[in-house]
Amino acid sequence: MSDTRLRPPPAVAPPPTRGPRRRLLSTTASHYLLWAAALLVVVGPIVPVVAASLWSAPLYDGGGHPTWDNFHSLVTDRGWWTAVLNSVLFAALNTAGSILVGVACAVLLTRTDVPGRRVLTTFLLIPIALPGLVLIIGWAAMWTPAGFASSWLETNTFLVMPVNLYSIPGMAMVAMSVASPTVFLLCRGTLLSIDPALEDAARTLGAGPLRSLFSISLPLLRPAITNAALLVFALSMEVLGLPLILGFSSRINLISTYLYDHWVNDAEQGLVSAGAVFLLIAVSGLLVLRNRLVGDVARFTTTTGKPTGVRILQLGRARWLLAAAVALFLLVFVVVPLAGVLLAAFTSILSPFISPWSVLTLDNFTAVLDNPLYTDSIINSLLIAGVGGALTTIVIAVLSVIAHRSRFRFRGSLQQGMLWPRMMPALVTGMAFFWSFALLDRSGAIRAGLWGIGIAFAVRSLALGYSAFYPALAGIGADLDNAARTSGATWWTAMRTIVLRLVAPAMGASFVLLFVAMLNDAEPAVFLVTDETPVLGLTMLQLAATSFGGTVAALGVIQMVITLVVLGAGRALLGVRPRA
Amino acid sequence: MPSLHLDGITKQFSRHTALHDLSLTVRDGEIFTLLGPSGCGKSTTLWSIAGLHRPDSGSIAFGDRVVFDHGRVNVEPEDRNCGVVFQSYAIWPHMSVAENVGYPLKLRRTPAARRDRRVREVLELVELGDHALKYPHQLSGGQQQRVALARALAHPPDMLLLDEPFSNLDAKLRDRSRQWLKALQSQVGVTTVFVTHDQDEALSFSDRVAVMNRGRVHQVGTPEEIYRYPADLFVADFVGTANLLPAEVVAADGTRARVRVEGIGTPLDVPHTDKRLGTAKVSVRPENIHIHRAGDGTGTAPDRLTVPVEGRAYLGDHHRYSIRIGGTPVAVTTTRPVDGAELTISLSPEDIRIFPVESDPYEENPHAPVH
Repeated sequence: MSDTRLRPPPAVAPPPTRGPRRRLLSTTASHYLLWAAALLVVVGPIVPVVAASLWSAPLYDGGGHPTWDNFHSLVTDRGWWTAVLNSVLFAALNTAGSILVGVACAVLLTRTDVPGRRVLTTFLLIPIALPGLVLIIGWAAMWTPAGFASSWLETNTFLVMPVNLYSIPGMAMVAMSVASPTVFLLCRGTLLSIDPALEDAARTLGAGPLRSLFSISLPLLRPAITNAALLVFALSMEVLGLPLILGFSSRINLISTYLYDHWVNDAEQGLVSAGAVFLLIAVSGLLVLRNRLVGDVARFTTTTGKPTGVRILQLGRARWLLAAAVALFLLVFVVVPLAGVLLAAFTSILSPFISPWSVLTLDNFTAVLDNPLYTDSIINSLLIAGVGGALTTIVIAVLSVIAHRSRFRFRGSLQQGMLWPRMMPALVTGMAFFWSFALLDRSGAIRAGLWGIGIAFAVRSLALGYSAFYPALAGIGADLDNAARTSGATWWTAMRTIVLRLVAPAMGASFVLLFVAMLNDAEPAVFLVTDETPVLGLTMLQLAATSFGGTVAALGVIQMVITLVVLGAGRALLGVRPRA
Repeated sequence: MPSLHLDGITKQFSRHTALHDLSLTVRDGEIFTLLGPSGCGKSTTLWSIAGLHRPDSGSIAFGDRVVFDHGRVNVEPEDRNCGVVFQSYAIWPHMSVAENVGYPLKLRRTPAARRDRRVREVLELVELGDHALKYPHQLSGGQQQRVALARALAHPPDMLLLDEPFSNLDAKLRDRSRQWLKALQSQVGVTTVFVTHDQDEALSFSDRVAVMNRGRVHQVGTPEEIYRYPADLFVADFVGTANLLPAEVVAADGTRARVRVEGIGTPLDVPHTDKRLGTAKVSVRPENIHIHRAGDGTGTAPDRLTVPVEGRAYLGDHHRYSIRIGGTPVAVTTTRPVDGAELTISLSPEDIRIFPVESDPYEENPHAPVH
């Protein structure tokens, strides 16, 4: 360095400096445009829902006047209050059960020497990765009173399935199989991030290992448990698929099925809009409360901690007993339902009195592939997931860099805007877009194609994609784009050539999650679907609501295989992990 | 190369004022250093020059070109034509060394052949000619720093801005890089603004230094002026080590002053331009305290002081002794060790600076003379 002689200064004349580039649109103007467009699509659709609930006639009919009638008929309908009560009961049972199982599993599988922890964890997490409907179909095939597993137990053993699935406790049990791993993930993250020195300190002061676990780490888990409880409760309030499949036929209405029924069968759109407003306020109220308690971004950070330094508690002989208990739970809640889907899909008839091996068949798949409704559904969903997922990934990336890397005045609202759709019940999202398209697109062109459903699914998945994308963006130092700016790059050029190039892997991960979510989403499509635009999730839901034949199981297997292949590829290539 | 003019720059962050009415002139082709403790506003000043921060008011001009004027004019960073070396270097990891350096030229749509030539030239200049095709992670810290420098010089810039570029290098390499960069700068002749909190770096690297604290400039001057004639207590204390002793000015005529230093019997006759009398502080550098050794002659003169040694430390190239003058702890340094439990010292009036006591030394001094 200092010992080499310096060479003479550059002999070539410097490149001519040019004046400021002429731009088509100033950076600030483009930010305002995108911001306005994002708010219009994300927040705008909620306006017509509220308007429809306060208007006497359907908005697209013209005429009508402002009225409280819709709310009046809602609150005077006994069916509505039964549905509200049922929903609260269902949510409470599901929350209590999931917290119990989730927290117990988190402690047992991360902090103790229970044998087979890795395998048990994997099985516990399977339901999160799978499309929600698949598991429900499996439960229905196996554990309903006439189901394969229930009847088999009754015939061949002294055991019986103690809970009737066609009841609120039964539905809560099914919901637990998905909610428990969510609780598990949230609590495990906290458990792994607790500094082991805290427990060590208790140990040095004379506390035994069990006592230090219970007096130090479990109290530290309380915020995570509150967080998980509010999340599970809020999501239980809006779930549609489960009560539609298990509750509807037994005339057990939850809020979601009440709204669905009155929309599809009675066409009482004002009433349903009023109910949707209620649901929106209840669910977003709970989630806002949760954000206040835990902080907004907490939900959207990866819940994988570093497993180093975790103290393992020796349980002695009890560990075998506890492992058996967890394994039994997983057998009943995960393995048997999954086996049910596979058995139902590959047999012509599923009955405990006939050996499944004797009735093995591919007929169900042939039936699926021969029916244009099903093949259209699969193709449409793949299109929405592929094209829609890719476009949504780009939109998320662009909005994120404006929100986090620019000096745009309203950048904070963009972040909120991307997280906000997560607070909207899926049914309300669907209805919001239904009304928006009805008002703004009288020709029905958007709804006739896949764009309508695609946009609704995309808005619904914004928060998920953003949560996968944001940590990577935050990890890129601001100096890198500042260096590009001072080198002469406009803001957009700096984003395009530096920041977005560096976060490309995170965009890939975001795409994988969006693909899976949009492939399997169903609820928002309830209000948007037409005969020309069936989508996989909703087709399965509607089919499952009427029968549990092999066809719906075969569809479920197809859905499951696509999901697992995409997630597996994502995990191998991009390190995608399941998210709570 | 243009000179740089900052006039009345003010920047307020949500609670505190980062810059108070800051005015500076950086001469064409010089290395001008902003020196101060963290949070003094030096980086805010640098980013305001680069266009990455927007001051609340004031104006910034590169020569005749006004790049910021009270928010009415605010040239975007990409149009200011600065070369910036970031503390983190900010080398783009997805681009090779040549692509990093060629990026500013590419943006200026320099034809490919000329671009390649210029990239090669600049890389030669920073002695990285053989590394053009490597990627940043294959380079050492020192090499990365030079890539950042090459990139900053490529277009070439009107103004070179350096944000603590040496802070990520180890001590040896830092010293060499400094000498090397100084030589290179004088060769290229680009007007350079350099930010650091390291006084050694500021003194050895700069043509002129501005010492900043709490958003104000306390003194601007050559390294020697700053060190030998600090304008106020803050500068005296922040640049180098200063022993601050309570004192009283008993007479002053505008050229010299008689000052009675606590703990020293005879008043000292010190060069001083102020006429104010009364309580003051005097500062004296540890290396300027004269140590009298046994056999030095003359015995006990009235200005000498014999004090017990309270602590001693060996620092490789010098020895440091802790003593007290009056009640004040004082550090004395020397290259030759002194044995024994006592130290006989004297102060040379020419090395003493007097500061009227106004407030605590870290408060800004609004009367600080600007050279």
